[in-house]
Amino acid sequence: MNKNKEKLLNSRYRAEKRFQFYGKSAIFLALLFLTIFIFKIFSTGYTAFQKTWLIVPVTFDAETMYLDENPSKEDLEDADYFDLALQTMFDLDKSASEKQQNDLKRMVSYFFEREIKRELLNDPSLIGKTKDVYLTASDDLDQVFKGNYPRDLPEDQRRVTDYQLKIFDQLVEQGRVESKFNLSFFTYPDSREAELAGIASSFMGSIFSILVCLVIAFPVAVLAAIYLEEFAPKNRFTDFIEVNINNLAAVPSIVFGLLGLGILLAVFQLPRSTPLVGGITLSLMTLPTIIIACRASLKAVPPSIREAALAMGASKMQTTMHHTVPLSMPGTLSGTIIGLAQALGETAPLILIGMVAFVNTIPGSPLDPAASLPVQIYIWAESAERGFVEKVSACIMVLLGFLIIMNLFAQIIRHKFEKKWS
Amino acid sequence: MKKNGVKMIKINSKNVDVFYGKKQALFNINLDIEENQVTALIGPSGCGKSTFLRCLNRMNDVIDICRVKGQIIINDFDINDKSCDVVRLREKIGMVFQKPNPFPKTIYENISYGPTIHGMAQSKNEMDEIVENSLKKAALWEEVKDRLHEPGTGLSGGQQQRLCIARAISVKPEVILMDEPCSALDPIATAQIEELIDELKKDHTIIIVTHSMAQAARVSQNTGFFHLGELIEHGSTDKIFKNPENKRTQDYITGRFG
Repeated sequence: MNKNKEKLLNSRYRAEKRFQFYGKSAIFLALLFLTIFIFKIFSTGYTAFQKTWLIVPVTFDAETMYLDENPSKEDLEDADYFDLALQTMFDLDKSASEKQQNDLKRMVSYFFEREIKRELLNDPSLIGKTKDVYLTASDDLDQVFKGNYPRDLPEDQRRVTDYQLKIFDQLVEQGRVESKFNLSFFTYPDSREAELAGIASSFMGSIFSILVCLVIAFPVAVLAAIYLEEFAPKNRFTDFIEVNINNLAAVPSIVFGLLGLGILLAVFQLPRSTPLVGGITLSLMTLPTIIIACRASLKAVPPSIREAALAMGASKMQTTMHHTVPLSMPGTLSGTIIGLAQALGETAPLILIGMVAFVNTIPGSPLDPAASLPVQIYIWAESAERGFVEKVSACIMVLLGFLIIMNLFAQIIRHKFEKKWS
Repeated sequence: MKKNGVKMIKINSKNVDVFYGKKQALFNINLDIEENQVTALIGPSGCGKSTFLRCLNRMNDVIDICRVKGQIIINDFDINDKSCDVVRLREKIGMVFQKPNPFPKTIYENISYGPTIHGMAQSKNEMDEIVENSLKKAALWEEVKDRLHEPGTGLSGGQQQRLCIARAISVKPEVILMDEPCSALDPIATAQIEELIDELKKDHTIIIVTHSMAQAARVSQNTGFFHLGELIEHGSTDKIFKNPENKRTQDYITGRFG
């Protein structure tokens, strides 16, 4: 009898130990995947925050720019910088053949004459003088300098020619190649040229979409939740509504995209590719999340508070507005932020309503065409250029940072207001 | 209290039946409550005494499946009548609950809430006065006067319950309903509340539901004994405790069941 009991006790201890082991390994596995994922993104992405510049001496020769003597500001504005820019690059190797000259031209960014123009506009007295100007290196050389480019491939499989590498190495030796913080990644809109592509348009697109989503979803969801929880009679019809709100929360997001496409764009003729339409579509998706969070936090308000207010002679409306709703707000707000964070990471519905279009302007309002961060990731991930690979990871880092900040904010709200009275 | 030798009746309930769905919880209750007296409702758990108490300020309205039949007449007016406005009724009939339930706001806001929603104060000074008087009447003023703007939930259990009493009397109700107000408190806090109840009956009619027979004997002038949804016996507390007419009352009082 005693032996049996001891056996039973031992097996109980073993069962608990086994269970703890399973739990710990599950957590370990989850953390491992997360670490690998984050390590991968950081290791590919961090170089995108650096940009390679070629420091090239530019001789601002008035003749090459077809300028008269003493040009006015407007003349400088209108002048043709293309030949000057070309000449600048050709001067790097005066003995270059025609083909090699073409290679030289491709060593810098596509619109590099604008960088020369900006330099001169800043200081018109440079005419006739020579100055070292920072020119954005082409994305391929950028990758070479960052060490991401396989130089040992045979030449015909590389986009960088041996000649370009030779000139580039000479420039490196002369200290004429510099790596600086890539500000343009944050201030430029998308571009076909990897070295010029930035997240400004998609970042603003995301912000506008989220704002539109918040402005529509929050009031509608909170009012619906308060009515359903506090005022609506409990009958079959309200049960039906409740079930369907839960169903709505489980609808795949692409369905909402089709809805946006079919109704907002086709029927209401709203401007396509805009954060307005994107925000409305996302708000449909966020609505059930906020309703559910708001109802749950209304339910969590102790009934004794309601009774206290009612017994003081407060009407139903006063009880709800003065006591129940304020007490439920921390939960509602953090639910809202989590819903918005979800919407922020949503791609499929935005692709359907056209926010996947190539947008190379920064939107100034929700009515301007824009992309959004996750869609930008999708667009860049499809691009073949090596320069976009690191940009994808960098964009993911920005998106994740955004999400972490939002979730942190939700936590802070919850903590701050819950602590206050207890 | 007697006027010209006649007891003044504050609340007069006639043939009150209460149903929770199909289950009947109260059977034909006829009970008169005397003005400016403390009436204790006693009885074993589930006997319907709290249900009856909640009929008096129509708190049962909150429960969807609950139906009340019969008449409850307060100031010559049937509160179950359709024309009765619940908000006005509850202004006249305050309630203190079993567990202290201050609002999660400051002590000051707890007291000022009732007067605010009923428009009882014209100025800040008037409101300050109401708050001070209510807290003084509830014997809490001395303990909290320096921290009126701290959360009411930070007080001890006994203080919270006195805060709830102060909140209830802030709107000058004619009747105060107390649903086992001391069941969550320690003996010292209980004694303070009982003392307070004795004091309050000068201005208010008090009905208290209690599980403690000793408490009923200490604080009340009249007692009603409920059992299984019926009012078995009611009368002066002296009579009920010393010389009950009904065998069941006697058994309960002497602790033979319950």
